Amino acid sequence: MNAVEQLVRAPVAAVEFANLLLTRDDAKIGVTPKDVVWTHRKTTLYRYRSTRRTHALPVLLVFALINRPEIFDLRSGNSFVEYLLEEGYDVFLLDWGVPGDEDADMGIDNYVCDELPWGMRETLRASGQDELSLLGWCIGGSLVAMHAALEPGGAARNLVLLTTPVDTTGGTYTSWVGRDSFNPEFVTEVLPSVPGAGVDFANKMMKPVTNFWTTYRTLWQSVLNGEAKREAYQSMAKWVADNPPFPGRAYNQWITWMYKENRLVKGTLRLRGRRVDLRNIDQNTLVVTAGADHIAPRPGTLPLLDLVSSEDVTHLDRPGGHIGLMAGSKARDEIWPDIAEWLEERSAR
Amino acid sequence: MSETPDPTEDVRRLYEDAEKRTADAMEELVKKDAFGELLARSTENILAVTRIGNDAVDLIVRNLRLAGRRDITSLSRQLARTEDKLEQVLQEVERLQEQLSESERSSASNGTSRRRTTKSSSSK
Repeated sequence: MNAVEQLVRAPVAAVEFANLLLTRDDAKIGVTPKDVVWTHRKTTLYRYRSTRRTHALPVLLVFALINRPEIFDLRSGNSFVEYLLEEGYDVFLLDWGVPGDEDADMGIDNYVCDELPWGMRETLRASGQDELSLLGWCIGGSLVAMHAALEPGGAARNLVLLTTPVDTTGGTYTSWVGRDSFNPEFVTEVLPSVPGAGVDFANKMMKPVTNFWTTYRTLWQSVLNGEAKREAYQSMAKWVADNPPFPGRAYNQWITWMYKENRLVKGTLRLRGRRVDLRNIDQNTLVVTAGADHIAPRPGTLPLLDLVSSEDVTHLDRPGGHIGLMAGSKARDEIWPDIAEWLEERSAR
Repeated sequence: MSETPDPTEDVRRLYEDAEKRTADAMEELVKKDAFGELLARSTENILAVTRIGNDAVDLIVRNLRLAGRRDITSLSRQLARTEDKLEQVLQEVERLQEQLSESERSSASNGTSRRRTTKSSSSK
């Protein structure tokens, strides 16, 4: 398209561009039918409807405390949940909900020692099984790893840990919040539930030009060229912009334990008096890292491979970012089949 | 015959190259210690201002005898604690139910074996 053609098309493209941004929240995400199995405070356990469950072991999906778990089920045709259901899995989702100021007392210990095991208990009860597969993503992966370290030989037979932060040494985030001058206690004193927008801003600041400018510039370019994928852009943009608050106590603990003291990899983390030793993890473990992950960089996840004492450990490393790896347009061909295959081999009764 | 270079394409390529270089430079910049310090101090300042604002609004709301955010949070927290207790009670009830059915099962199996023992001894 030459300069004159671009100029002629610009007004129409501008209207379309504005429309894409303004109607972002109308995008439908997380639409695969599901039923509520159990709730406690803001946590909800969902079971996705399926008529083709062929694998005995249910899969319990656990997402991070930042952003919403709809990323597992972004949109029809690009949904990991939909894919797992097609592959015959019995899929459950543990949704942490949208915490308010009243949930400021929720700490990492509450998530690891209460909500997660209670969700697992209800998953087993609903599925009629005595074992399950746990799939954690980002902080969700860390929570799953902490739980598995506390409960070796428990109900979790398989662990899938996606872009999971374990060792925070040398990361950009560590250089920001790990320093003495950053006081998470002061943050949570003023804001009992830390606004998601603040956490999102910090995440975006890691790649400021890409996140605050290039995203919109490339969108404009694709609109101008008539190549914009409305549904794909809006669903992802809606998910990115949906940032629930981080409960104050959990935020304080997460920043202090992970970024200031790096306790998880050092084996000095204690939850309710019990030491979280990753060497206790004896479940079949699949660790997935993304080459271009700037939020949980690959070097921060790799120590997990040496720490766990599981006899069955698999590592998949793929190009892509922290989220793009699992929710990008190539995920369906490049990573989901590998995860489903790994689970299949370990999901028989 | 060689193609005529498209100036628009050249400009676009040059711009994208400049943008990529800027992005890389900014990513390096945010990794610097000084940027981390700036971010930490700025966060502290924003929070301090937020606290002053919150306190002022809270004072006004309280003096108007209206329920403020703190009051609503306090009520919600009480509800959350009640739910915690309810979950614990439910778990305890389930544990006792399991214990009861377990003991019923074992006493039933003991009774059966005892009856069998009695029967066999009487047949002697």
